[in-house]
Amino acid sequence: MSNRRSSRQSSSAPRISDDQMIDLVTKLRQILPEIGQRRRSDKVSASKVLQETCNYIRSLNREVDNLSERLSQLLESVDEDSPEAAVIRSLLM
Amino acid sequence: MSSYNMVKQEFIKKWITTLHILDCSVEHPLNVTERKNAIKLSSDIAMAAARSSSTVWSRALISRSGNKTANKPMARRVLKKARNRMKNRCLTLRRNGNFTAKSGVRRRTELLKRLVPGGELIENKDYLIRETLDYIVYLRAQVDVMRTVAAVDSVTGNLTNDNN
Repeated sequence: MSNRRSSRQSSSAPRISDDQMIDLVTKLRQILPEIGQRRRSDKVSASKVLQETCNYIRSLNREVDNLSERLSQLLESVDEDSPEAAVIRSLLM
Repeated sequence: MSSYNMVKQEFIKKWITTLHILDCSVEHPLNVTERKNAIKLSSDIAMAAARSSSTVWSRALISRSGNKTANKPMARRVLKKARNRMKNRCLTLRRNGNFTAKSGVRRRTELLKRLVPGGELIENKDYLIRETLDYIVYLRAQVDVMRTVAAVDSVTGNLTNDNN
């Protein structure tokens, strides 16, 4: 397994070792169920794992952005005496 | 309590603080965009502050937020608090010029380095992976908490309808 990977990559480029990759995949599986379901063995390519990780981080950042927008609009439309205002006040106090 | 719940708890505590400080410092009224940026800024700083100074990404995120808001005195107060808790550590940034990574792993590693705050400063692959995993956990906590708060709208919306 490692032989195949080393023949494809140049020796000068720093590689992620197999142990690190297995560790990363294991931990990511707990966080991203999609990766785990696709392949059970540790033959998941390093490239694929990195790609999934990058996509995941990007999607989380996008979601933070959208949620910030939503929260901003939510607070905009809240008037002082509404039940929303009471809940938010209790959340922040 | 699971460690993930503790992460969320810590984030909530810090977010309440940063929101308060921002709220006191800004000039009301804010337009929607200004408020959105304030919410996002306070949320990011809270996420990094929840992690404290023990990771590269949290320190990088705080200093990155500082650069973005250099003109806004309100953010300085929040950042000063967070920065005082962060230790100063010099990490030299080494640039490799216009080297384009040929293999898939190398290229994607470079992409990942750009996504994780401070990732470009990390040379050691093992370290980068540990930082990435840590960063993802806190990012998820941030999203989960913000989602819950944003859901207040739909919950109380139903309450209002029932009362009518």
